[in-house]
Amino acid sequence: MKAVLSIALGVIAAIGGFVDIGDLVFNAQAGSSVGAPALWAVPVGVVGIMVFAEMSGRIVAVSKKPNFVLVKERYGTRLSTFTLAASLLLTVLTLGAELGGLGFALNYFFDVSVNFFVLVALFAVAAAIYFLPFAGIERVFGYLGLALLVYIAASLKLDPDWGEIGRGFVPEAHSAAVYWYFVVGLIAAALMPYEIYFYSSGAVEEAWDPSDMTVNRANAFVGFGLGGLISVGILVASAQVFKPAGISPTSVGSVALIAQQPYAELGLILALIGILFAVGGATVDTAFSAAYNLAQHQGWRWGKRFRLLNEPRFTISLVGFLLAGFAIAQTGVDPIELTEYAVIFSIPVLPLTYLPILLVGNDRDVMGEYVNGPLARVMGWLYFALISVLAVAAPVLFVWTNGGG
Amino acid sequence: MAGVLGAAAKNSGFMTRRGTVIALFACAGASLAGCGGPITPDELARSIETLESTAAEGSLLAKNVADDHSKATFVRVHSRDLADEVQHEAEKLTDAEADRADLAAAKSDAIDLADRIGTALGQMQTAPGSESDARTAEQALSRLSEGAKKLAEGL
Repeated sequence: MKAVLSIALGVIAAIGGFVDIGDLVFNAQAGSSVGAPALWAVPVGVVGIMVFAEMSGRIVAVSKKPNFVLVKERYGTRLSTFTLAASLLLTVLTLGAELGGLGFALNYFFDVSVNFFVLVALFAVAAAIYFLPFAGIERVFGYLGLALLVYIAASLKLDPDWGEIGRGFVPEAHSAAVYWYFVVGLIAAALMPYEIYFYSSGAVEEAWDPSDMTVNRANAFVGFGLGGLISVGILVASAQVFKPAGISPTSVGSVALIAQQPYAELGLILALIGILFAVGGATVDTAFSAAYNLAQHQGWRWGKRFRLLNEPRFTISLVGFLLAGFAIAQTGVDPIELTEYAVIFSIPVLPLTYLPILLVGNDRDVMGEYVNGPLARVMGWLYFALISVLAVAAPVLFVWTNGGG
Repeated sequence: MAGVLGAAAKNSGFMTRRGTVIALFACAGASLAGCGGPITPDELARSIETLESTAAEGSLLAKNVADDHSKATFVRVHSRDLADEVQHEAEKLTDAEADRADLAAAKSDAIDLADRIGTALGQMQTAPGSESDARTAEQALSRLSEGAKKLAEGL
């Protein structure tokens, strides 16, 4: 039981990152539009985030430095300020989308009004952040979000063509721009910058030290692995239910409908609960990430491990970001579209997020005996090269394919 | 998009980084704004495909109600969302100009389809727990989805 509870950080970081409000729909769209041939993109993204999450957790365990401290140290003032501004903009936009998504998800249960439930969600998330300890927040949102495992069960019960699923995990050349749009989006969704900011800061919150290397690996591999499996489950089930019917899902309700096909009302309820807590987890991830980044960049005292009232600047920024997200959600902007824009336009920022982790992980002076081994070094550079290519390809494909449409 | 980038490259002899960024955002802006002007067959087909997809999804939703596999609140909210989507598409089609007779006819058919899809979805919104109404809506929406498919294929 203790081992299960110890991977909560990885689970909430992964679920909040891979299956947030936009990714839920994006995965379903990939399934209905491209189907199994897009599957290989999920493990490519998942292995990438595992490599960098493991590295950033190890860096925290050795040096106590979360990701944005590394950004500031390695980049100097101008580039680190640019990285901060870009990451804050995209993270707060995503936060607004998640709050909007919570409004939609709650409205499916009670049918009052989305805007009313956005307000309810704001108070619920603020209360969870204030009253629950950090580990409690991780566990509530992370583990209840695992109700989304219903999509893995659904994909199995819908009995897809296993040969086609197997071939889907092997990359193949396609000329269709839409195919590449979804492939790039699926890889990028796994590598969203706020996941790694939240993960590395969470490791500081949990006071990891070199004795926690196994916990770090379990979080990085099992936590993010579960997030990846859920992505695969949604994609496969959507390909089974929506693709033959010519349905292109556009809302979180469409995604819930997928789980209803094999499991009737139970599937629908599990899907809606999973969506609610996964999107809640993403709200927590993004709110904390924004406040962590600002505090780390400014050199403020930060963290939920201290009493929030004793850290006024960190707490005010956390409240400010939540209110900014609430204001965005209240404009009535479509949260799905907003997160899709945020995913695609966060890709150009990815190299700036991941490079410092790689440089410090490779630095024997900092890491000592925990420096990257040959495998971590090679994988790190390979993924950095991939991220750099994606940084150019993503916005171009977005425009070219009219947002995958 | 390739055309815009290509034109920019031709004029300057090479794509400067700033030029690329400006061209990219200009393209993004144009693509998001829909560019204006008369509706093209591609745009009309995309719009009709949205109607096809929404009707098919509505049919699936209705089937779940007919089989007593759903929750009334979810059905009411989701059918309303789908109906709003159809209404939005119908408004876009109504506002669009068609400069060819065949496109104008297809546009008019699409608006009619949107109207009928919206009516069937409205039926579920009004009585989300009625299995017999849902069965009727399921069949109607399935037919309308097929109709939209044929209309899009004919373009």
